[in-house]
Amino acid sequence: MPNNSMDAANTATQSVNTNTHTESKTMKQKKRNSQWTWYIFLIPSFLGILLFMVYPIAESLRLSFFKSNGTIETFTGLANFRTVLTSGPFWNSVWNTFYIGIFQIIITIPLGFIFATLINSVSKGKNFFKVLYFLPNVTSIVAAAMIFQFVLHPEMGILNYILGSLGLPTPGWFSDPATSKWGVILLAVWHWIGFVIIICLANLQAISSEMYEAAKIDGASGIQQWLFITIPNMTGTFAFLLITGWIGALQRFNEVYVVGGPNGSPARSIQTMGAFIYERGFTGFEFGIASAATYIMFIIILIFTFINLKVSKMKI
Amino acid sequence: MRRGIYKKKVTLFITMMLLLSFALVGCVPKSNSSSSTSKTEGKWAGQKIRVQMIGDFAMEDKTDPVTGETAKGMKVVKEEFEKQHPGATVDFVLMPWEGYTEKTQAMITSGEADVYQMPGVADFAPQGVLEPLQPWIEKDKEFSLDIFIDNQVDGWKALGPDSKELDIFGLPFLGDTRFISFDKKIFDDWGVEYPSENPTMEEIAEKAKQMTGKNPKTGEQNYGIWFRGDWSSAFTLVDLAEGQNGTWGTGFAWDEVKFNFDSPEMLNGLNWLLEMQKYAPKGIVSNQGNEKWLSKDNNIAIMLNQGPGDTVKPAYAQGLGDRLGIVNEFKNDEGRGGLFAGSPITIAKSSKNKELAWEWVKFATSDFVQKFVFEEYGAIPAVKSATEWDSVKEMPLMLPVFKAMETPMTPRYPWGSSQPRFILTSEIEAALTGNRSAEDALKKAQKESTEWVENR
Repeated sequence: MPNNSMDAANTATQSVNTNTHTESKTMKQKKRNSQWTWYIFLIPSFLGILLFMVYPIAESLRLSFFKSNGTIETFTGLANFRTVLTSGPFWNSVWNTFYIGIFQIIITIPLGFIFATLINSVSKGKNFFKVLYFLPNVTSIVAAAMIFQFVLHPEMGILNYILGSLGLPTPGWFSDPATSKWGVILLAVWHWIGFVIIICLANLQAISSEMYEAAKIDGASGIQQWLFITIPNMTGTFAFLLITGWIGALQRFNEVYVVGGPNGSPARSIQTMGAFIYERGFTGFEFGIASAATYIMFIIILIFTFINLKVSKMKI
Repeated sequence: MRRGIYKKKVTLFITMMLLLSFALVGCVPKSNSSSSTSKTEGKWAGQKIRVQMIGDFAMEDKTDPVTGETAKGMKVVKEEFEKQHPGATVDFVLMPWEGYTEKTQAMITSGEADVYQMPGVADFAPQGVLEPLQPWIEKDKEFSLDIFIDNQVDGWKALGPDSKELDIFGLPFLGDTRFISFDKKIFDDWGVEYPSENPTMEEIAEKAKQMTGKNPKTGEQNYGIWFRGDWSSAFTLVDLAEGQNGTWGTGFAWDEVKFNFDSPEMLNGLNWLLEMQKYAPKGIVSNQGNEKWLSKDNNIAIMLNQGPGDTVKPAYAQGLGDRLGIVNEFKNDEGRGGLFAGSPITIAKSSKNKELAWEWVKFATSDFVQKFVFEEYGAIPAVKSATEWDSVKEMPLMLPVFKAMETPMTPRYPWGSSQPRFILTSEIEAALTGNRSAEDALKKAQKESTEWVENR
């Protein structure tokens, strides 16, 4: 009997072990099955990325080594890269891109931050100002560029009307290479400032009010609080705006295309890197040149973003 | 149990794939194309062609934004073609002018259509993607090239991949041209005689000078002249050179092309434009200053390098048809000069139904279609018979347009949509904006264009 009980106990233990083993196996299988399900759900977006991102990027790299008009192709090695890197109009487009980008950023971020601070300080109508300043950002840049052509019209434009009324000189704006870049900068600042204000406001509202209370007790003035509490707490936001602002600025195309066409009239003064690529690729059928310029632009953006990350000490 | 899991997986996978397929099918635009089932009876039973067209065309009826009248849809043309060709089916791929070259390139590379409206025929023919049309013309006894306005067939001739001589790869479908237009009211207000039928640069300059300033009748500021200083300025300048018996250069195949961008005629032409800038509103380099043109408040007397599409129908729609005048742009001693423009119709080499495609080409150049696209869409006909249509007679401005179509330089400038055009345009802009002297600008344009041709 004792032996029998031992056997029964052993059998029971074995049965428990087997059950546990089977259970853990089923669990693993379930887990695996559930993972499979998620992979299946991921297939459509994965295929989309493969077809519409990875393939064009790879095809563009291949094209950059060919002289191609879309149907007839000849392998030319690095000749396209040499052509682009020695092309005056390309470096002119790089200069234009950086010129417009630099002024857009150094004007918009401080100005947007000042507006955000002012909006944050008012007790009534905060939402009204937020909507008002954010409106330009939701406006299509193409439509905005068309409107700005009227705003900056040399004879009928409202800006020149105001300048003229004040006895100031009335520039030709988009019809003069000396001022056309500034026309684009004005448009870019107007369009981007709403975004900068909203981002700054979000961070401003996240700064602890206790810090300001403590500063007030210590006798700090409003300006001192702004300089020594607000600004240091905003560095992360400024870094974010700097990086995203630069990436957008380096890819600028829509507004300069609407205002100055693919060759950035007048006299290529607003032709950006994106417009240069469009001009050579889609109006001149030089797909190899356009692809090489695209990769050069990619490398420029990569290097510049890396420098920006280091300068701004932003962690990604 | 395993079998159940496997079945579930397969079902889920199939469902996902179906969903993906539906999603991708949903991405294909339907609005601009029509689909039909193949027909089983008639001479052309089961044969189908796809026709690409560029412009404001629509399958269904739509309201014309200029006149406010209803324009009949291209379904009318489809029905008529299918009626005349029993058993055949024609489907349309309709696209706007915006980005038409890259879209055409993508379509022809993937064999998307059988027939193309193709202003860039000179760029596509050397790629070997187009059917030479001369054998079809010779084979078809019913068809004659005499139906087209003089000069139109020659203008679209292009070089094939192996040919040394210019061949016919496209037949004229839509006409277009460039001319000088003027506002008779402003001329009358100033007491200036209207421009002659073939004006010289001196005549235009003299009249532009006379009509710049305060209008003696209205007291409004008037400008003697306007020309687009950016996008089409290269063609304006080349026409000025041609008006002095000069040329843009010589050759058609890239290895034979030689530019004359820095010739004395071009330099004289650019200096003339710089002089004319004094009598034009500010902003010509950014396509500004002409906002009042084709309105009753117009303040510009003479407009250089105008096209019929933007002039004739809008003028009549505004009730200004009688106020406007059209004369030829600058011509050489042989009476030729100016940009050849418009759209030819071509057959893709890859077309599987070339017989039917040729039938479409003939149909598209027939009075039925030519009249339809003119009356419904304001597209300019390319056939001689148009001068007899009532709808044309109602718009007398069309007659000088047809005359202007007979005399531009042919074949079309081979560099018209290539880098030399953009080089020349940028340099004209540099001169017009005072960034370079006319001489330096043209020398730079000549050097860069020549280098581009040598390195391409």
